[in-house]
Amino acid sequence: MTENGEHHSALPYFIVWVALVILTVTTYRTGRMHLGTWALPLALTIAVTKSLLVILFFMHLWEQKGANRIVIGTSFVFVALIISLTVADVATRFPLATPAGAPFGSDIPAQLEEPAPEYQPPAGKIGEPPRGVPEPK
Amino acid sequence: MSEAAALPPGEHLVHGTDPHLAHHFSSLERQVDASRLGMWLFLSTEVLLFAGLFTGYAVYRYSFPVAFAASARTSEIWAGTLNTIVLITSSLTVALAIHFVRAGRQRAAVACLAITLFFALAFLGIKAIEYTAHFHEHQLPGRYYRFEGVRLPGAEMYWALYFLMTGLHGLHVVIGMTVLAVIAWRTAHGYYSAHYYVGIELAGLYWHLVDLIWIFLYPLLYLI
Repeated sequence: MTENGEHHSALPYFIVWVALVILTVTTYRTGRMHLGTWALPLALTIAVTKSLLVILFFMHLWEQKGANRIVIGTSFVFVALIISLTVADVATRFPLATPAGAPFGSDIPAQLEEPAPEYQPPAGKIGEPPRGVPEPK
Repeated sequence: MSEAAALPPGEHLVHGTDPHLAHHFSSLERQVDASRLGMWLFLSTEVLLFAGLFTGYAVYRYSFPVAFAASARTSEIWAGTLNTIVLITSSLTVALAIHFVRAGRQRAAVACLAITLFFALAFLGIKAIEYTAHFHEHQLPGRYYRFEGVRLPGAEMYWALYFLMTGLHGLHVVIGMTVLAVIAWRTAHGYYSAHYYVGIELAGLYWHLVDLIWIFLYPLLYLI
């Protein structure tokens, strides 16, 4: 931090605030668009940008001593490790053969109370081979 | 004065003259640096505390992507968005409080801290409205989940994580308000000045962390 008594302008704080509000509106608008697979990376990119603005300028890490940067930087490294390694573990397991409604491991998007769809026999007359199957020679 | 000779240039031995200087520090600059380092260490442990919950969120979101997306759409998005703006603005007023006390304007700094407390109260009020709506709709964790709008496996996990994460964050808001109130009171009574204001700075760091956590909670719980 700079020495006492040095007079700064308060303008940078307002600029950072305007940037944070604009980013909030952006993440709100894009969040309502249902962008599919891009929704999560985009939302996280905006959140990381906002947090960098807060850390560097509101929390003055920009002008802090090196030790403070190492401390908070190390904690972010461990946050990335714990989340990425844990998700990688879950993502690389075999899908568990749990029934719908089981508390964990089931990713069946069907409604809970919905009955299973009735069996539909393949189209075509009885006795004819199903379509797509070559006739026996 | 062998101790003074060991000090780097620009630092002065002020023992006996400065009421803020603890006897085990050679100078006020070193004392303030140590305080800041201690606060950053504490904030790092706070980040790791929340990282545990974010990891749980990531695992269950990966396991129940459809239920999480559907449940997030039934959350009170207006409240989350409004609270984001409220917290960002309260972060600005805390930063301004430090700016003013640096410039020797203690009364402006106290006013900024009071505005911050007002925003914190507004945040908790909006959160209370939100929680009430969820209780009425039975959007609750575990076996208390009875919400008719989303009947998918995993929806009750979304609400368990929602209440854990926003609850722990809300607890931090209350602690932050207590700290800011004490700091504002001490500033109003002349304890902090342009010469020594590390207490306001550290309370501000804590409040910015509360804002920081919410910046990540908002898109994860309300938007996607």
